[in-house]
Amino acid sequence: MKHFDLCFFLAFILLFPIIGSGQEVLQWSGPDRDGVFHETGLMKSWPGTGPELLWEFDSLGNGYSSPVITKNNILINGEVDTVSYLFALDLSGKYLWKSKIGKEWMLSYPGSRSTPTVVNDLVYVTTGWGQVACLETRTGKPLWSVNMVTDFHGQAPRFGFSESLLINGNTVYCSPGSPDTNVVALDRFTGKIIWISKGAGEITSYCSPVLIRLPQRNILVTFSKTNLLGVDTKDGKLLWSYKQEGQDIDCQVNTPVYENGFIYCVAGNGNGAFKLKLSDDGTKITEVWKNGRCDNLMGGFIKVNDYLYTSGYEKRQYYVVETTGGNIVDSVNFDRGTTNYSDGMLYLYNEKGQVGLFKPNGPKMEQVSTFKLTRGTKAHFSHPVICNGVMYIRHGKSLLAYKIK
Amino acid sequence: MKRLFSAVFVSLLLFSVAGAQDLTLDNILSKYYKAMGYENLQKVNTIIMTGTMIQQDAMPVKIIRERPDQCFMEFDIQDITAYQGFDGQTAWWTTPWTGNPKPQIMPDDRAKDLKSRADFDGLLFNWKSKGHLVELIDLDTVETSQVYKLKITKKDGGIEFFFIDATKFILLKRLYYRVVRGKEVAMENYYRDYRSVQGVLFSFTQDTHFDGQPYNSLQFDAIELNKLVDGQIFRMPEK
Repeated sequence: MKHFDLCFFLAFILLFPIIGSGQEVLQWSGPDRDGVFHETGLMKSWPGTGPELLWEFDSLGNGYSSPVITKNNILINGEVDTVSYLFALDLSGKYLWKSKIGKEWMLSYPGSRSTPTVVNDLVYVTTGWGQVACLETRTGKPLWSVNMVTDFHGQAPRFGFSESLLINGNTVYCSPGSPDTNVVALDRFTGKIIWISKGAGEITSYCSPVLIRLPQRNILVTFSKTNLLGVDTKDGKLLWSYKQEGQDIDCQVNTPVYENGFIYCVAGNGNGAFKLKLSDDGTKITEVWKNGRCDNLMGGFIKVNDYLYTSGYEKRQYYVVETTGGNIVDSVNFDRGTTNYSDGMLYLYNEKGQVGLFKPNGPKMEQVSTFKLTRGTKAHFSHPVICNGVMYIRHGKSLLAYKIK
Repeated sequence: MKRLFSAVFVSLLLFSVAGAQDLTLDNILSKYYKAMGYENLQKVNTIIMTGTMIQQDAMPVKIIRERPDQCFMEFDIQDITAYQGFDGQTAWWTTPWTGNPKPQIMPDDRAKDLKSRADFDGLLFNWKSKGHLVELIDLDTVETSQVYKLKITKKDGGIEFFFIDATKFILLKRLYYRVVRGKEVAMENYYRDYRSVQGVLFSFTQDTHFDGQPYNSLQFDAIELNKLVDGQIFRMPEK
């Protein structure tokens, strides 16, 4: 018995550092940045008028940022009178505070872009003009900030900096996108530089990176203007790049998805949708297929089993792409927009403001319910968030919370 | 038997075409007014149309019109809101995508177009008293529909063509010309998805082609009649 106790104690002690370093990151596009929200018991259909609207907060300022939902509050970016703010609401949609971040993007498609990233008591945000800031999650008190343009010689792309910051351990990564500073790693507690990666030496392309964890190394995968980059998170070494073909390409927005040794991407221009095989040690990639007809600009895509679900851009419809050969196997007329997934269902939010609940049935997308968003302002670009049985949709100045459980 | 059916079909077709050609301009316009619900339109003083303009992006659009010839349009391009208005005297607009958000007097050629569209009853209704000239040109085809092609020489000298469905007598297409960078280009409006609102027929989808290529599409979610409108909205703001 004592022997068992000792073994248990040792096992606990040995495992503790692993458990202790487990980091809950609340971030862009779900816990794994793949558009999937791990909820259960959600409604399998909606009434004709849509699910019940629990509340609306209509003074967010302009922008397309999605919210992050913490245990105590909701954090979301918005632009008011050219200034970017981090807004905090309580879970019932009541305003708590707002904290000034910096100058916001006011050129084409003005307003905030990126989604905050929260790790426990700290939250990380960016603005369209490249301000990277760390604040207290509870109060919004600014702790440190750097600017990707003035501090790292970055260059704002034509629609402004749009990445949602990636965090791993004590490091926060950002993409200034200059010839010498394609990707930069910062100490997330101080903002000090850990490494600078030249990467492909080109400006950023609106993509929020994804982290691939392999036994040998962790890899940050993101797009710069014309390349998909694989960067070793230990030292910033560029492991590989994958060139996007075509002219005038600079819109590789969607976060790549990694699964079982393969990287999947759907990009607005360049190579469109493609699948790469990543070597076991993460140092090499091999193209499996590409399909230029899949041209989703910024609505993301979802991988469920052997299919990708996404929308087109030039052709305003949704597609199903089989992942063996990259062929489009079905299309559905539902305009174009975002795609998310939770509890066996696809959640589509198109640019006409229609929200759709679809069932992914292998090569088919089956429409179950739809409703039209009638509140909010301006373009329907934001990606919805599902958390604790609530679907949050930002439409310009409004954040809407729908009960879907 | 088949031959008999074919003969009857061809005869009916020829008869209908011949019948169509026999209609005078007044007959066509009379049927057009009836089909579009002009009698009911006379009881309408304001129209508010809200929906989406698809021009690469899908962006919100709102059009407000008031008798006799005032109009206002609010729309977004690259998610930046722009405005156009006509208060019966002055046509104005904002062009924030040029970097200048201030209201400006609209250039002449665009102003003429806006004034045409501001006519609450449309150019064809009471065209003589408005000083326009309307002529029946010919039978024509719009997509798969046979239409009457009418030429309107407006009081200001501008020329437009209206294409009226030869069967349903609804407007299917409007053609006019706009000078862009010194070159005259054809603007074609295609009117689709007609629905009745309080006895007046409205096109809920209007597709525009620019120089023969698809340019934008207006898709309305709601058309409201006789809502109270603050007339100030049609006037050019100072800022």
